[in-house]
Amino acid sequence: MIALNELTDAAQKAFPASSLSPSRDESWGLAAEMGWLMVRLPEEDGGLGFRREASTALHLEMGRVLSAMPLIPAQLGLQAIAASEDFAEREDWLERLAGGEYAPMPMLGAKLTRASDGTVSGTISGVFEGDMAVAVVAQLPGGYALVPLDAPGVSLLERPIWDPSRRLFDVVLDGFTPALILTDAAGTKALHDRLSGEAQLALAADCIGAAGAALDMTIEYMKIRRQFDRPIALFQALKHRAADMKTRIVVAEALLWKRVRDESASVTELAAAKVLAAEAFRFVTEDMVQLHGGIGLTDEHPCHLFLKRALLNLQLCGNADLWNERIGRKALQA
Amino acid sequence: MAAPQGARYGKVARNEDILRVWGIIPQNLYLPFVPISPQRPASVWTPRNPIGTDRSMTNDLEALRREVRSFLAAEAPTDWRDASRTQDDFVRTQRDWFGKLVRAGYAIPHWPAEFPGGGRSLAEQKVIYEELAGADCPRLLLSFVSTYHAFATLHECGSAEQKARYLPKILEGETWCQGFSEPGAGSDLAAIKTRAERKGDVYVVNGQKVWSTMAQFADKCLLLARTSSDGVKQAGITYLLMDMKAPGVTVRPIHQIQGDEEFAEIFLDNVEIPVSERVGEEGKGWAVAQATLASERGLTLMELSYRMRGALGRVAKLIREHGHEDDRGVLRDFGVLVTQVDAVCAIADQFLDNRINGIERMGDASIVKNAYSRALRAYSALGLRLGGMDEQYVAPITFGDLNTGNWMADFMNSYAWTIAGGSEEVQRNIIAERMLDMPREPKGWVL
Repeated sequence: MIALNELTDAAQKAFPASSLSPSRDESWGLAAEMGWLMVRLPEEDGGLGFRREASTALHLEMGRVLSAMPLIPAQLGLQAIAASEDFAEREDWLERLAGGEYAPMPMLGAKLTRASDGTVSGTISGVFEGDMAVAVVAQLPGGYALVPLDAPGVSLLERPIWDPSRRLFDVVLDGFTPALILTDAAGTKALHDRLSGEAQLALAADCIGAAGAALDMTIEYMKIRRQFDRPIALFQALKHRAADMKTRIVVAEALLWKRVRDESASVTELAAAKVLAAEAFRFVTEDMVQLHGGIGLTDEHPCHLFLKRALLNLQLCGNADLWNERIGRKALQA
Repeated sequence: MAAPQGARYGKVARNEDILRVWGIIPQNLYLPFVPISPQRPASVWTPRNPIGTDRSMTNDLEALRREVRSFLAAEAPTDWRDASRTQDDFVRTQRDWFGKLVRAGYAIPHWPAEFPGGGRSLAEQKVIYEELAGADCPRLLLSFVSTYHAFATLHECGSAEQKARYLPKILEGETWCQGFSEPGAGSDLAAIKTRAERKGDVYVVNGQKVWSTMAQFADKCLLLARTSSDGVKQAGITYLLMDMKAPGVTVRPIHQIQGDEEFAEIFLDNVEIPVSERVGEEGKGWAVAQATLASERGLTLMELSYRMRGALGRVAKLIREHGHEDDRGVLRDFGVLVTQVDAVCAIADQFLDNRINGIERMGDASIVKNAYSRALRAYSALGLRLGGMDEQYVAPITFGDLNTGNWMADFMNSYAWTIAGGSEEVQRNIIAERMLDMPREPKGWVL
């Protein structure tokens, strides 16, 4: 088995920090080629059989370059199918997805109703790069199912978002008849908890990687930008802000790795790592724009890409208010 | 596994590089800076602790953990908070507990193996401190300067005769304090003005020291004094071992805002210190001071972090007592605190693991300290807020604990951690200049 450092190095080589938001489709091809879609898949299913550390390391690097490809939802979708042992077309779908087809897990909630005839209608939100998808892995009223986007009663609607590094879609169901069932009612909660925890860790890693890149970029700028005959990096008031940003990132990353390695951590505990990482990312990018001054307000400078990704990440898979309340309630009961 | 990965992080920085640009207040809160310069960006995957990969080592550590745990189950004092309501009681409790730990072999795990209970690896020390924190026994405060600062100074730089004279006495309960900081030399430690003049076989010392932790109970003092004003300010400093009962030594405890007297001033009026009590050469005391300051290896903050985590129950109790169980705003604030404290435990752990593996980075210790001290402030501030007016009525304080549930006292006491041991601002400078490689302010500012 390769060491994680090698994975990180490979990712940095394939996606150098100098190139922000590299082309989605080229990235996707590269990631599929390097087996990144399959890192968490068991070896008997043709995957690499890596643990959470491996996907975390990759998501960190993809956050660092503000990756436009939907690696997180893709891995989650793949894991959902792999975990659905009773799904008749399991092997078939695993093979298709390993080959680069895309069946994401949505990163936001769904509002769905089931009619008496068993058909489902409503909206599944948070489908990243839906234009690439052949299907989505959705939690329908009866349990998880694959929703093929070319099935009758399924349509795709792009929802323009502020974050230009990604594209977000709704999948609208109108009398859709689920056929590719992944879990029954009993298996749904277990799969939900598993995927939800994975999603939290992946998003946390994306935040930490991107926050680190944002801070690096900000410090570089502060060293170059001169006012009053000196680089602004010399001003202690600004240095202290940089130090606080660094502190937030390093501390949030420490919690992330601790939770990544704690196989017994609950979803709430994994979400705590995401909330802390996303808040650190927000903290860093808010100041990134401020410290860049006027140039930070321009569309041509990448500051805004970081800020917008940070603010979107905060909303994905449960926002800070929701999770903080749950964390507090759980600690109160402890 | 550790060595090749550690090499990726670049060269090990030397303490003196850091101290040269940075005078700290070396109180017992001090965290050392041995770290390393970051060659890789912050969020790089941190290589992990070989402890988990070496089965025999893991087994040994778990055996030690069981051994310490069973000792603590039988011997850890449970009533120490009630027995620490006055300073005299606190001192008695501390001496009793230190004596017990010495006899059990857990007081000085970082000392060499020739001392009973010494010769423990950092990984073993970490296990011992985890268990001490988990059992909520008193922290060893009174003996801290003796077992860490005095020990490291004597062990690294003391003469054979000095070691033989003083180290065994520390285990018998002799306590030391530090005479480093002065009214005009806080963050800028090298600016000390206390003078030592050589007269025959003695130095005659005059001056004033401040913020000396528990000097009022100390038998001996690690003293920095100036023997020369020539050259750079670090060059004329000499390191002396002073008897606190010597004529001319006056100690005045400092009444702190929360009612404690953890620190003291020391006034020196023609105090005679034999030349044999000098550590290292005359004028070379700054180098010796580095040994003093590098003595603590991050265990204290790890221990304190886990103690704060254990004390989150005090906030939960307040929430219940005030009927806030379903107040979403309060629950969120509590949730934020819980995560903040968990994260401090994680970074303190990671810091020690990195040390154990030799892969610390320059500035890591500053991050741990600032993260802890801010969490401590947030912890006590939330308790203070939830406690409301009740907390404004004076209640008894507990000596020697940072999370006592007396929220006013805890809140005020939390400033000790943002100010002492290198203030929060000094730590930020270190993070910015040493970790982020931002430029230093030009020298030679004159106003």
